[in-house]
Amino acid sequence: MKEILKIKDLHAVISGTDKEILKGVDLTVCEGEIHAVMGPNGAGKSTLSCVLTGKPQYEVTGGSIEFMGRNLLEMSPEERSWAGLFMSFQYPVEIPGVSISNFMKTALNCRREACGEAPISGADFLKLMRRKMELVKMNPDFAKRDVNAGFSGGEKKKNEIFQMAMLDPTLSILDETDSGLDVDALRTVAEGVNLLKTPQKSIIVITHYQRLLELIVPDHVHILKGGKIVCSGSRELVTRIEEQGYDSF
Amino acid sequence: MILFDGQRKIAEGGRIEFREHITESPSAPLTLVCLDGGEAVFDIDIDAPGISLDLRGLYVCGGDTRLRVTVNMRHNAGGSSSTQLFKGIAGGNSNSRFDGRIVVARDAQKTEAYQTNRNLLLSRSAVVETLPQLEIYADDVKCSHGATAGKLDEDEQFYMRSRGISLEEARRLQMVSFLAPVMEGLDEEVKSQVNDCLAALK
Repeated sequence: MKEILKIKDLHAVISGTDKEILKGVDLTVCEGEIHAVMGPNGAGKSTLSCVLTGKPQYEVTGGSIEFMGRNLLEMSPEERSWAGLFMSFQYPVEIPGVSISNFMKTALNCRREACGEAPISGADFLKLMRRKMELVKMNPDFAKRDVNAGFSGGEKKKNEIFQMAMLDPTLSILDETDSGLDVDALRTVAEGVNLLKTPQKSIIVITHYQRLLELIVPDHVHILKGGKIVCSGSRELVTRIEEQGYDSF
Repeated sequence: MILFDGQRKIAEGGRIEFREHITESPSAPLTLVCLDGGEAVFDIDIDAPGISLDLRGLYVCGGDTRLRVTVNMRHNAGGSSSTQLFKGIAGGNSNSRFDGRIVVARDAQKTEAYQTNRNLLLSRSAVVETLPQLEIYADDVKCSHGATAGKLDEDEQFYMRSRGISLEEARRLQMVSFLAPVMEGLDEEVKSQVNDCLAALK
């Protein structure tokens, strides 16, 4: 199967410190696969997602990441997005004064410009936005609202999945998408993700808990602990974690 | 400097003096927009009781320009209130200074006057000074002032870039977000003048 993401012996620190957080992570994600990365607090889960998306405050000190055959580490965050990488943030940022519609239109047009395409027409954009909002069951009134400003936890996560739908990424990283969500919001968000999942799309679900993985069912499960993947297996691994905790690994 | 109110350009020149005597409450916020370098002095006198004034302003400068904005808000009659929100963006090697004075006359009891000045620095070499002052001669008033100067938020910028928004566009949207509380009251024509000015800032 076609390899989408190939992480080899990845080491990373927070910029300006020498405290190593990722200590040799290996992970390969193929086309169409759903991978779950689970682990206790402080294992390096969030660092892994930040390094994948190119957050400036992190520094890679060793290893390599290939995404769709390209060296991901040489790409800026926006170039990674244009190449088909997406992350649903654990804590989506509020941007008062910038509407969701303006935000997404700017995002799409930046990508189109980078690909040498003309900007999307106003009518086409509205049509696309309405369709994607419907898909993730988002109230169309949200188009005019400021990005995440005053949103509830559930609304913020739904907005992340809406953005995922708009950008149509090849690989999506869901960073603790379940945190701060009630059961109903979690189900809506998971349904949105499952609707967007096609045989060509891959997903990495980063989570502490089993809950989300009952709704977005992974093909492979990895335990990240102490900055390394200490165990990989099938979805049965999730049950073992729930029963025995992370200490048994 | 080019000075706009909420609807149109009202003055242009190296030094602009703007005087306003307020004797009844305006129905909408009074907005003042200063683009390019130079000096603007706003003398605003509140001359009647029961007035509620919402004054908002913004100034933008870049390159090697020097900009100075002075606001003298004088409460000459008691029982009125004023709130001021001034936002400044400074890029390049620019030097901007905001002098904000609230003066409450001796007889102007029960005055409420507040002033906020927030500045966004786009570059390491831009210099921003902010000098808020209160001169209060009455003894039964509520007055305060606050000033901040900060840079573009990195987490916000990363969030945008992770959606494929280029660094340049992300910075522009951050400026739009920063100025939003002042921009909301502007006519489209004035807004587009501000946006053109922002697009040229580094």
